[in-house]
Amino acid sequence: MRRLLGAAALLMTGTAMAHAEGELFLYNWGNYTSPEMIAKFEEKYGVKVTITDFDSNDTALAKVEAGASGFDLVVPSAGFVGIYAEKGLIQKLDMAKLPNHKNIAPEWVDVSWDPGREWSVPWQWGSTGMSVNVKDYAGDINTSDIFMNPPPELEGKINVIPEMGDVMALATLWAGGEVCSEDAEVMKKVRDALLAAKPKWMSMDYSTVEKMINHDYAATVDWNGSAMRARLGNPDVAYGYPKEGYGLWMDNVVLLSDAKNVDNAYLFLDFIMDPENAAMLSAFARYGNGIAGSDAFMPEDMKTAPEIVPPAEFAGKGQFVTVCTGKALDYQTAIWTELQK
Amino acid sequence: MAKTRDFVVSDLPGASVISILVFVALYAPILVLVIYSFNAGDSVAKWQGWSLDWYRAAWANDEVKAATWVSLVVATGAAVLSTALATMAALGTTRRPAFRGQTFIYVMINQPLMVPEIVTAVALLLVTAAIKKATGYTGLGYLIVAHAAFCIPFAYLPIRARLEGMDLTLETAAADLYASRWQTFRRVTLPLLMPGILAGAMLAFVTSLDDVVITEFIKSPGQDTLPTYMLGQLRRAMKPDVNAISTLLLALTLVLLSAFFLLTRNRK
Repeated sequence: MRRLLGAAALLMTGTAMAHAEGELFLYNWGNYTSPEMIAKFEEKYGVKVTITDFDSNDTALAKVEAGASGFDLVVPSAGFVGIYAEKGLIQKLDMAKLPNHKNIAPEWVDVSWDPGREWSVPWQWGSTGMSVNVKDYAGDINTSDIFMNPPPELEGKINVIPEMGDVMALATLWAGGEVCSEDAEVMKKVRDALLAAKPKWMSMDYSTVEKMINHDYAATVDWNGSAMRARLGNPDVAYGYPKEGYGLWMDNVVLLSDAKNVDNAYLFLDFIMDPENAAMLSAFARYGNGIAGSDAFMPEDMKTAPEIVPPAEFAGKGQFVTVCTGKALDYQTAIWTELQK
Repeated sequence: MAKTRDFVVSDLPGASVISILVFVALYAPILVLVIYSFNAGDSVAKWQGWSLDWYRAAWANDEVKAATWVSLVVATGAAVLSTALATMAALGTTRRPAFRGQTFIYVMINQPLMVPEIVTAVALLLVTAAIKKATGYTGLGYLIVAHAAFCIPFAYLPIRARLEGMDLTLETAAADLYASRWQTFRRVTLPLLMPGILAGAMLAFVTSLDDVVITEFIKSPGQDTLPTYMLGQLRRAMKPDVNAISTLLLALTLVLLSAFFLLTRNRK
């Protein structure tokens, strides 16, 4: 019994530690936070950072919503920032405590999910486009025709990632609609084209990097970070930005309403908007960071990577992929279900 | 073997082909994973020669070390707690004649085997959040208690099986020789039961070690276990260090399951 009490006492000390000063609790996607950057932050401010992983936006939201999650900062995707704000789970940022807020690149300030960046700070962003093996196909790769209307050279060798939001966004933009289109005619065109194209695809699978390197696929709908890793493994792989419009995503840091370490959280938010530190994040996670001036500190292989830095002619063509609602979502789900058959 | 008139499944045409296919489907993926954990390159699917690099990488990774520690503490705590409770439950349900509501009690005890894990997880999330709010305690206790709860049937079943195979007359004999109830339990029942208890504890330990869903929902900050750490890697490219960790988890599970087998083998 005494031993049991001892064990209980040992467990209780966890409580005391959790409230001690000099701590910060970050809730983030796994393998997404640069350990070097965290070490630098810990050393500079004497704050111990504890990182806990989540595997999906939904799990993270469910845990935060249940209350007493114990986290200070969370890194949800763009479409989820509004949900956190609506439910009162996050607090508006105090700009006076964020002198580096001015470093957010102009194109990332007035974003649709958080105009003026009052609730969230950029973490990493990327795009959805086409990876193509240029040995198989010499034509234009900057088009969604690659998977919506495949050229004969690529037939039967195309993969499409099984991610409804991203694929439907590309398909809808290709058909001339908006990301969450409710236009019946556009959506009919999307449906017919997808169903006609599907027999020319090889698979619908997530693991694109390995298969592009091994040349199992000749082309795939892809995320830019995967495309870059594929190119580093096989120089024949190139990344295309569909001129009809390509998809964009961004993960953002938000400050929870029930955060216990608010001051440390502000230190951290300001710290990651310093260009040098933002570049450390990118060097680890291999995506862009939305902070102006960070290019100078980026690793050499990323500074010039066409996957990370879109060529000027495509820079403005990206469209944010948000979580659609209502009729738009109904259309997407119906088409996606039919496509999976 | 000569054909007998008995119905023997393994004599049916195609039985061996089907069993071989089943074993291949079960074990080939695991074998591939184990082999690729020794890959020299940083790909999970392209072979580039043998090396132990990924074991070194996993060993050097502080997050992996922290997750391993949490996993072991939780699994040990949950195994001890659930085995103690399961032993009491097994003694209570077997050392007596059949009673009204027996089946109901069995079903209650084995409930975690039947209720979908996600349901338990969401229910536990709400309850633990309320307790965390009220008490401010965020230690490993929640994980240990929650794991113990779903480990109970795994500990209970081998202990009950052992008890049912044990001769009641030994205890009656002890009582005849003026042993007190406690002495009978301590000197006769418990030693005979020990293999069942150890086997139950090992199954409970392994079950706790493998859990993802419930852990993901009720873990507090900094309480990633090995399985939730691995799940967190999913969205980014998996690296072979995950294969290395999986192989080590597999090895640990195999050792414990072999011990379980040896302990239960001699039952008559």
